Amino acid sequence: MPFLESHLLGVIVAAPFLAALALLFVSPTRPGAIRAISLVGALVSLAGSVHVALGYDLARGGLQRAERYPLVPSLGIDLSLAVDGWSVSLLLLTGVIIVTGVLASWTLTDRPRDFFVLLLVLVAGVFGVFVCQDLFVFFLFYEIAVLPMYLLIGIWGSRGKVPAAGPFAFVWRRFDVGGREYAAMKLTLMLLVGSAAILVVILALYSAAGGSTFDLQALARARFPRELQLWAFPLLWLGFGSLAGVFPFHTWSPDGHAAAPTAVSMLHAGVLMKLGAFGVIRVGMLLLPEGASYWAPTVGGVAVINVLYGAICALTQRDLKYVIAYSSVSHMGVVMLGAATLTVDGWNGAIYQMFAHGMMTGLFFALVGLVYDRAHTRWVPSMGGFARQMPWVASFFVLAGLSSLGLPGLAGFVAEFLVFLGAWQSQHYVWALAGVLGAWVTAVYVLRVGRDIFFGEGPRSDEIHHLTDARRSEWGALWVLGACLVVFGSYPRLILDFIHVATLEYLPRAAGAASALLEASR
Amino acid sequence: MNLLFGLSPFLAVGVGALLLMLAEAFGKPNVAPGVETTDAGAGRAGELALGAAVILVIGAVLSVAVWVAGPESLPELTQVAPHLVIDKFTLFFSFTLCVGGALAALLAGGYLPEHGIDRSEFFPLLLLSTVGAMALSAAGDLLTLFVALETMSLGVYSLIGLRRGSPRAAEAALKYFLLGSFAAAIMLFGLALLYGATGHTDLAGIGAAVRSIGSPGSTVSAGKILISLVLVLVGLAFKVSAVPFHQWTPDAYEGAPTPAATYMAVAVKSAAFAVLLRVLLVGFGDERLASWGAGWPPALAVLAVLSMTVANLVAGRQESVKRMLAYSSIAHAGYALVGVVAAMRSPEAVSAVAFYLLAYTVSTAGAFGALILCGSRGAEAVSYEDLAGVGKRHPAAALAFSLFLFSLAGLPPTAGFFGKLYVFRTAIDSGLYTLAILGLVNSVIGAYYYLRVMVYLYMREPAPGAPRAVTMRSGFVATALVAAAIFVLLLGMAPGFTLDMASGAALTAR
Repeated sequence: MPFLESHLLGVIVAAPFLAALALLFVSPTRPGAIRAISLVGALVSLAGSVHVALGYDLARGGLQRAERYPLVPSLGIDLSLAVDGWSVSLLLLTGVIIVTGVLASWTLTDRPRDFFVLLLVLVAGVFGVFVCQDLFVFFLFYEIAVLPMYLLIGIWGSRGKVPAAGPFAFVWRRFDVGGREYAAMKLTLMLLVGSAAILVVILALYSAAGGSTFDLQALARARFPRELQLWAFPLLWLGFGSLAGVFPFHTWSPDGHAAAPTAVSMLHAGVLMKLGAFGVIRVGMLLLPEGASYWAPTVGGVAVINVLYGAICALTQRDLKYVIAYSSVSHMGVVMLGAATLTVDGWNGAIYQMFAHGMMTGLFFALVGLVYDRAHTRWVPSMGGFARQMPWVASFFVLAGLSSLGLPGLAGFVAEFLVFLGAWQSQHYVWALAGVLGAWVTAVYVLRVGRDIFFGEGPRSDEIHHLTDARRSEWGALWVLGACLVVFGSYPRLILDFIHVATLEYLPRAAGAASALLEASR
Repeated sequence: MNLLFGLSPFLAVGVGALLLMLAEAFGKPNVAPGVETTDAGAGRAGELALGAAVILVIGAVLSVAVWVAGPESLPELTQVAPHLVIDKFTLFFSFTLCVGGALAALLAGGYLPEHGIDRSEFFPLLLLSTVGAMALSAAGDLLTLFVALETMSLGVYSLIGLRRGSPRAAEAALKYFLLGSFAAAIMLFGLALLYGATGHTDLAGIGAAVRSIGSPGSTVSAGKILISLVLVLVGLAFKVSAVPFHQWTPDAYEGAPTPAATYMAVAVKSAAFAVLLRVLLVGFGDERLASWGAGWPPALAVLAVLSMTVANLVAGRQESVKRMLAYSSIAHAGYALVGVVAAMRSPEAVSAVAFYLLAYTVSTAGAFGALILCGSRGAEAVSYEDLAGVGKRHPAAALAFSLFLFSLAGLPPTAGFFGKLYVFRTAIDSGLYTLAILGLVNSVIGAYYYLRVMVYLYMREPAPGAPRAVTMRSGFVATALVAAAIFVLLLGMAPGFTLDMASGAALTAR
């Protein structure tokens, strides 16, 4: 099918969107058909992504499968799609997460049609961001990926609330901290502030490059004046960084992840936060290499705070979802740390960490959803001994946990190892040290939470007979994500080859600017 | 013939207004048997609304037709200049005004009978006011400017007071009338001073006289020009409801019937922006007055920042959705003012403001329309609580409301996004980074209260026992909403064509 072959990227982006459109014509009282259509939309995208990966010519590298559809010719806006090695790996991640996310929300009963429509629109935006080569459309897709989150959390979010305590309890009660409406509003507003910053930079770059094109490649060749780069990069970093959970703009993420329904948490922590980091690297570091190398020490320093602060917060949380959410903040710090090293290994590690963390945190949130569904609580101290009733859930939790703390043989290890290696090569020894320390704290909280929930004698051990292990569709998410962690952890080249090709092509630009800066300072 | 063709948008709406008035006066009231009425148009809102909407759509179509034919290829049009300047700028705005008026007329066709104020004078007044607004956007002379301004305003004063039995409406009308007359008087004083200082009533002549200041032999006094500039700015800032001249807006919108509020928010504001741009760029376009250090740009920048910030902060604290929309319209005046400030350096900013106002017109009219759909007689949706659960009771209204709120908040893929983008882009092109960033930050603050409506639409259930608004169904309102939604999505997803048109409008503004 030549049409399909030549428009494959368009099909990958459009499939979830078309499925969402189709859903609008299905009666809301037929959940079977709704789920089936959603699953088909997700599977088409996954199959397309796998096909793209298999067909990517590693020897040639660069951008492949370019497609271009004019959108607003007078402003130089095109819908131009193409993949490089980074996109390939992130497409795979998104495909896997959306399929497992649909499976994980199979049993949803509250207005399932609207839920799946929003979920699919969101994921269409994510696919779009990863393959888009036009800065403006990149931003559009980015917004499309972020905005449905508001309704998804606000309507289907969990009703669980954080008990107000401490000297500021009255503030918590006033704003209903931890409630889903609070979480949805906080998330949306914080991310919109980020978007506003991004938009300013995009317009400034467009105008500085002559005001005729938004094409990423053309903009990358434009060589922006140093002054512009120095103020534009931090704005982009904070703008995209607010989605990537960069400290101190991460505070929406624990609330948002905790309040979101299972599939949305999976997508959000698994894929959406990656959009932010991807934006920093793709737009920030590639278009503004001088700004990036000037600000790299700051980015790395803040990333170190992310790693340690996130891990320590996770250590002190007692709400299961908050623990996992803070672990995401910590792990996204590793991504930004890798990006800030401006070394081949660091960037490889950063992208690999996006991939590995996506799979791992997707698995985590799927498991947390399962546990919450059965036990109706996220409060860790009130759980215990669950492993007897749900041995598989416990096993997968331990698997995800081991990947999270970086056990060799699992995907998390490869990523963290590369990032720390990169940090060492870039002579930021402290970063490497702090990163390893973060991994250690991760081990403490992950193992402790696993122990508290699944093993030992819980306070309610006599009331847990009704708990059951995973059932039917729930197996899908667990096995697929668990298998990915093991496969890509034990044979990382499957993904790393793609990433490496793109890194080798892109890094010289950023690193060239870094060495030029070094020369100038001598 | 060519002259008639060039003026056809104005003539169509003006003649249509007169015909509609006759139709109203000589028709038979359509009331239940046994009801005595002296109003010949009672109970005929439906047909009159249809008539008004058709006339305004014809006006819009004729604007496009003249645009396509090209006003520069109609030399006869210079006969009416400078009293009426028919250029692409005018035509773009008259299109926007006709669209806004037609949407308001359709809303009224559903709203007035539902709420028992089936008073047919609404529609001729609406049309006459629109003629005034269109003439205002074409005014190249102080006399036309003032007459057109008053024609537009007088119609609106009576539209606000349509609900005669309601003290709120009376208060709203009186407030708007008194403050409006006051502002008009201030402006008139400014115009008189301008004439006295320059000896010209046409804007181009005034512009030339202002440029001659400082050159040998010029007798024009710079002081008088500055004072008249301030007075004219005050008058127009009142009409566009920029902070601190906005005090009347929330009360007037709240007391007015919702379609009248819609009309005020979209058409009056757009026309005022049109004349503001023309007066500033043609009359006060001298580089010494239109520069960042002196003249009107810094003053307008202050108004813009105040409007955006104050309105957004206050809007978030409103309990009435209508008042919230009123403050939102003030905030949007602030965003558009950013574009006006940018117009001092970049001619493209004029088209950005024109495009912005078109996007704003369809989004705001749609939002008011969706609000109308959420309530019915005796149970008008006013507060946020009234909207609770509408997402389940009337999914179509809730969906439409969300779309228009998205557009007002400036989120893609809607018209409002491209409008904001275009305005802030020209601001950045002109080097006004601070204004652009303040504008974007304000958009985010604005998103809070727009999203808050969605919280109630979708995430709240009505309190048990509380009196709740009953959603209404009306073909007129539905038509208006569908039309506005098509505009919002079209401008948001395929803005290329309209952007090109708007940028054509920029070139001929001067």
